[in-house]
Amino acid sequence: MKFEDETQNLKGRMAIIHALVIAILVVLGARLYFLQVVRGDYYAERAENQRIRRLRIPAARGAIFDRHGKLLVDSRSTYNILIAGEDMKGKDWNELTAPLSEGLGLDPGLLRERFEDAKRQPAFEEVTVKEGATNADIAWVEAHTLELPMLLVREQPQRRYPDNGTLAHVLGYVGEISPEQLKQPRFKDPEVNPLVKDNPYHPGDIIGQEGLESTYDRYLRGRDGYREVEVDSRGRIQRELSVVPPQPGQDLVTTIDLDLQLTAEEQLRNSPNKRGVIVVMDPQNGEIMAMASYPTFDPNLFSQRIGTPEGRKEASALLRDPLTPLFNRAIRGRYPPGSTWKILMATAGLQQGAITLKNSNLVCGGGITIGNKFTRCMGSHGSPPLRTAIRVSCDAYFYRLGLKMGLDGIMAMVDEFDLNKKTGVDLPHELVSWTPSREFKARFNPRDAEWRDIDTVYASFGQVYDFVTPLAMLRAQVAVSNGGRLYVPHLLKEARAVAGAGPFPERPRQTFEHPEPKLLPIPQDQHDLVVDGMWAVVNEPGGTGGAARVPGFDVAGKTGTAQVVGLGKDTGKNKDHSWFVSYAPARKPEIAMIALIENVGFGGKFAAPAVHNIYQTYLAKAHPDLAPAQAPTVAQSAQHQ
Amino acid sequence: MVAILEKRRLRDFDWVLTLLAVVISLFGTWMIYNAQPDAGYWKKQLIGLGVSAVVMLAVAFTDYRKLVHIAPAFYAFGLVLLVVVLIPGIGLKINGQRCWIGVPGLGQFQPSEFMKIPTVLMLARYFGRPRGSVLTVRETIVGLGILILPVGLIMLEPDAGQAITYFPLLAVVLFLSSVRMWLVIAALVLGTASIPAAWVVGVKTGAIKPYQQERINVILDPENADRRGFGYHTWQSILTVGKGGLWGSEQKGAASQSQLKFLPEPHTDFIFAVTAENTGFAGCLLLLLAYAVLLTKLIHGARRAPDRTGMLVIMAIVGGLAFQIFINVGMALGLLPVIGVPLPLMSAGLSAILSTSVAIGFAISIRLRRFVN
Repeated sequence: MKFEDETQNLKGRMAIIHALVIAILVVLGARLYFLQVVRGDYYAERAENQRIRRLRIPAARGAIFDRHGKLLVDSRSTYNILIAGEDMKGKDWNELTAPLSEGLGLDPGLLRERFEDAKRQPAFEEVTVKEGATNADIAWVEAHTLELPMLLVREQPQRRYPDNGTLAHVLGYVGEISPEQLKQPRFKDPEVNPLVKDNPYHPGDIIGQEGLESTYDRYLRGRDGYREVEVDSRGRIQRELSVVPPQPGQDLVTTIDLDLQLTAEEQLRNSPNKRGVIVVMDPQNGEIMAMASYPTFDPNLFSQRIGTPEGRKEASALLRDPLTPLFNRAIRGRYPPGSTWKILMATAGLQQGAITLKNSNLVCGGGITIGNKFTRCMGSHGSPPLRTAIRVSCDAYFYRLGLKMGLDGIMAMVDEFDLNKKTGVDLPHELVSWTPSREFKARFNPRDAEWRDIDTVYASFGQVYDFVTPLAMLRAQVAVSNGGRLYVPHLLKEARAVAGAGPFPERPRQTFEHPEPKLLPIPQDQHDLVVDGMWAVVNEPGGTGGAARVPGFDVAGKTGTAQVVGLGKDTGKNKDHSWFVSYAPARKPEIAMIALIENVGFGGKFAAPAVHNIYQTYLAKAHPDLAPAQAPTVAQSAQHQ
Repeated sequence: MVAILEKRRLRDFDWVLTLLAVVISLFGTWMIYNAQPDAGYWKKQLIGLGVSAVVMLAVAFTDYRKLVHIAPAFYAFGLVLLVVVLIPGIGLKINGQRCWIGVPGLGQFQPSEFMKIPTVLMLARYFGRPRGSVLTVRETIVGLGILILPVGLIMLEPDAGQAITYFPLLAVVLFLSSVRMWLVIAALVLGTASIPAAWVVGVKTGAIKPYQQERINVILDPENADRRGFGYHTWQSILTVGKGGLWGSEQKGAASQSQLKFLPEPHTDFIFAVTAENTGFAGCLLLLLAYAVLLTKLIHGARRAPDRTGMLVIMAIVGGLAFQIFINVGMALGLLPVIGVPLPLMSAGLSAILSTSVAIGFAISIRLRRFVN
């Protein structure tokens, strides 16, 4: 070097710079080796995860049919607007409130509420902003993909339930899964979605919340498919990589006969208070052909309108309504059965030998004196045999039968007819009836906790200590009618098979799981006597249930008038409940039913005509030759009497 | 021009250096294409390369001593441009920085990029006289003065990334101008020791703003830092580089990080990540190797320079290029915070490729004149 100087080792210093340059490049190379060779696979996977997104394709939920294939519930396509949680990380939700409430016409308060709910979940995926979006809403979202890339539009099949609240309590309704439900073991069932076994339900999923929708959610539920798409950094879809189409849910065929159901509902709607229960059952297998509970509600409120402020208001009004329209009275209403109880007493009295076929007479005497208290009968029937006692509904006869059987006998009867258990019907939230026992009295009347003979008298004619659900009562009566087969009442006829597709295996046909009845030892001759008495109730002069008579069709039945309060106060809203339990033909029953009209008075006057009208509808379909040309409606008969 | 090309000149022309520069910049153009095939940056870059080649040759065949002689004029002109760029209306504001001047018909250029050449020339001119003594305080102050004017103006834009690339120029020149070794070592030790102290003081006094702190935190732990906010660039760059693996990712083209816009600024600041994704460890290693050869060639040229001035010009260029490579690649690999410094010969941008070409032109020119003195 020509310019080498004495003041420094220039060559050396240049060598130092050279070395430094090489050292820098070596450091970079080493880091490169670490990132690309050592950790390359890991980063490649992370990059894939942000590039590829699975978009769910919601599966169609199974439809629900009546026993003859009439459509009860189906789904139609609607569109929801969602926010992808992935796109909201690190962003301020509050900034969305104003544009969304303006652009989509939403209540800002409701939006904030939904955002709060979403944020509380540990790993939410998406938040529904608007259900049932209109075409204008969708256009608005599409026009704002640049400013609001987190918005998604998703097709959402929406449930459509019958109008007028028909079958509302039986069908139930669907709704969004709640954060609490997501934690329940029931919603961890890996069968639900074989594609995501460990986490089959997602926040925002629509599930059956009530009724059959809830019980058979596992059949009705389809299995969601997905589209695998490639997205860019803003979540915009670039390409579709693959598609797995969804597998629809299984269609449900119920045991409901829509015509009977509509007739039953009509009876209740036309009743004076528009409150009550009617259940129709096939006595040969426990299939429920109609189940009406009034007042009713519109399930579409929960499946369609619950997202709107008005819908929420409507729903909370329903919840607070003192007439409990959301409540399925057939399985949640506990009513004193009144004289319908006597049929079970009669059957059990014979079984237990308290009375015999040869000598079934007991004194009526117009009432009974226990201690210094006289409990009267509604009439004076002398010393009637069982058949007459049933026909005229002699209370005093059954006071004495009850005393002969004793509390233990009554409790044995309760146990025999499963009245102290749930019926096992395939509906959620069933309640157990309350039945006489020493414990029940102690709880019911703690000041006079000991069981006395007078309590036995009350318990023996369906008052004070007896509170049964209409379904449990019908089930017991059906066992009397068919000679001792206590079926589990049910609504599922079948869940139709769905073919396997792609990754989804075939879903086989399903039927009700408990078809075998409990067998009660009711001898034929005893059975005949009770049935004969019930036939007389309807078909003989002096019978209390003449209003249910159908010429040519041997209707058997029993009225009941259940005291709501003590005698003498039975007016207005405290009027007695009117019961009628019935089946036909008496000696070869093919249809059985129970009707309860709340707070109207005597059983023969309101419930029996309602039952009559249902028989009429039944006959028109099953035995057109027997169908009467014309018969009075409930409303008319109520006016006449 | 053919007339000027004497036989000797052709023999001394640094073919290897030229070829390396051309290969790297063509490779860079290919990567710019990979980053965004539809955006047209690669076409612009090709045009820029053509222009740069001509300018490089022009510089190479001009006597660098004449240019050094008139360096104050360049320097003054550069300062004027740096002032002009600050004037709203003339200087274009992009991402909050006013560092571009729009030229009708030609696009935009970045005065801070060009200003490096006059600064190098000024430093070389001042420190290029034969040395008789160790570096004096006065010399150091003058050197700092030469540097501080453009750096100060650039900080007004503000473009900290460009500004810091000026410091290695002075550092190299001072290092090669008999600065006492113990001073260098003391400065290094003090500097290293003062980083944590400066950090603490800076954070406490607010001189280091929260977003700058975040950027540092991101480097320390990119995986757990705010991957959607401040850490986004670094995290995405690490993903992109890692994804490349040994031979390049299979998910290229439309499925690439850059085309799906996960990787920001893929054609400029993060061109190295694009290279890593497309060519893998193998390609990146080759690129680093090419840089190593290029810089080594330059240092060899400096050793044979005809005078101190020429040597200083080349070595300052070496310092500048090596520093930019370190900052840019270090940033792409998540070793350094995100600083907008282009990767020499690779990043898209006419100003950057042109200024690098001029620098290499000087190196060639100096080598061509190695026997003249």
